[in-house]
Amino acid sequence: MQRFLKDLKRFWAYTVYSAKSDLKDEVASSYLNWLWWILDPLLFMCVYTFIALAVFHQGVPYFPVFVFIGLTLWNFFDKSVLQSVKAVRNNGSVVSRVYFPKYILVINRILVNGFKMMVSFVLIVVLMLIYRVPVSLNVFYVIPILMELTLFTFGVSCIVLHFGVFIDDLYNVIQVVLKLLFYLSGVFYDISRRVEEPLNSILLDLNPVSMLMQSARQCLLYQNHPDLKLMGIHTAISFLLCIIGIKVIYQYENSYVKVM
Amino acid sequence: MENYNSDAVPSSGEREFLRPDLTGRDVAIDVNDLHITYKLLKSYSIKKSLFQLKKTKAETVDAVRGVSFSVTEGEIFGIIGKNGSGKSTMLRAIAGIFSADKGSIDLHGHTVSLLSIGVGFQKRLTGTENIMLSGMLLGYSESYVRSKMDEIIEFAGLGKFINLPVKTYSSGMYSKLAFSITAVLESEIMLIDEILSVGDTNFRRKSYQKMKSLISNQDRTVVIVSHNNDQIRELCSRVLWLHDGQIKMIGKTEEVLDAYDRFMS
Repeated sequence: MQRFLKDLKRFWAYTVYSAKSDLKDEVASSYLNWLWWILDPLLFMCVYTFIALAVFHQGVPYFPVFVFIGLTLWNFFDKSVLQSVKAVRNNGSVVSRVYFPKYILVINRILVNGFKMMVSFVLIVVLMLIYRVPVSLNVFYVIPILMELTLFTFGVSCIVLHFGVFIDDLYNVIQVVLKLLFYLSGVFYDISRRVEEPLNSILLDLNPVSMLMQSARQCLLYQNHPDLKLMGIHTAISFLLCIIGIKVIYQYENSYVKVM
Repeated sequence: MENYNSDAVPSSGEREFLRPDLTGRDVAIDVNDLHITYKLLKSYSIKKSLFQLKKTKAETVDAVRGVSFSVTEGEIFGIIGKNGSGKSTMLRAIAGIFSADKGSIDLHGHTVSLLSIGVGFQKRLTGTENIMLSGMLLGYSESYVRSKMDEIIEFAGLGKFINLPVKTYSSGMYSKLAFSITAVLESEIMLIDEILSVGDTNFRRKSYQKMKSLISNQDRTVVIVSHNNDQIRELCSRVLWLHDGQIKMIGKTEEVLDAYDRFMS
């Protein structure tokens, strides 16, 4: 753990700089550049809102914002995990030349996707203003929610990064698993109302992503506060995942290059 | 570094022809009974592991088998041997990129950088950005790398290409940039893998000069892997000859090179 903090301090500047360059590169290599960070979730919001309202005839108050919050959190988690699977291979040229702790690659992805999430959040505020969502002080619960999401994402990403090095087709497997999780997480429907008891509380309480999504919506849209006890348990689990991930990476990272 | 024997250092005038006297200096690299093994079947697909449960025993290649040597601070150490004899593998292990399967490598706390052909850049990013990233990966602060930036750019001599993505570079330009970064941002131990013969004649001369000036710096330890015997003969004080992952011979440059020449012809 001490080694983790020391390494983190040493490579932090590098991580931030490389995340910045990655973002800059993304902007430079597409026509609509940074607009995509907004357009992407916005367009998907339209798609899912259309499907939910026109096909399934179901909605909740402030439905587009409801979907948009879900998508914002989901994209962050989904992209960070998926990109981590191939992170070592994709950075092979750097990995085979100089030593650095490989979870730095995960942190890089989290910073990049986290920045996009922040852009998305600005849009959430705008949407909330447009829809005249009443707010209370509970909106600030969104900060611990995002921190817990980051922690969970980091833990999961570190673990898939490790196995992604050794298993060639893990990417495909993770893709399917994430798709399943996407539909189970209630990005575009309300689990607590649409799914029967007791399945709905199982889906909500056991799945960290849906739990966080639900909590974020509760505090942003409906002036509620999240279930703190549940959050605490999930945070503890996320911590455990992070520690496992970091341990595994430290133990095996020096053989990654041999496999590639 | 503090405890090197200043009496033993020849005056700067003589230095060009004298190799630094290394008696009484600290050891920079200690390699002890190093074994490195590649497992050929390491990376597998899920389908394979499902359908070939029996055949789990991976084929292994022993790249380095029981090598021990030590390099003194300030020494220029050469490694020779035919292709596939484990030279690059060993350099990577010293750089900390590989783990040793058996045995140990002790750098006594020195900073180390590995210089080899055609690796190390994020292809989508520009030359300048890659300089920053490489420098910071080597452990230098952002402001330090920035202060050295002009020197690196000038040494690399890439002109306007420095602000273009690295993927637009030719392979020669690529290596020139790599060499410049490591040469200007000097780490205490430099591991050089076959890079002294890159670039055009002009750059080759420049990098050769740079190498020579690095040699005159008493604190720098350099390990060179090269197939160019003339370079080894001129630069190195001691040479290690690797053959099939084992030490065939180690000692004074002339003796080892002569034996090696006889062996290869």
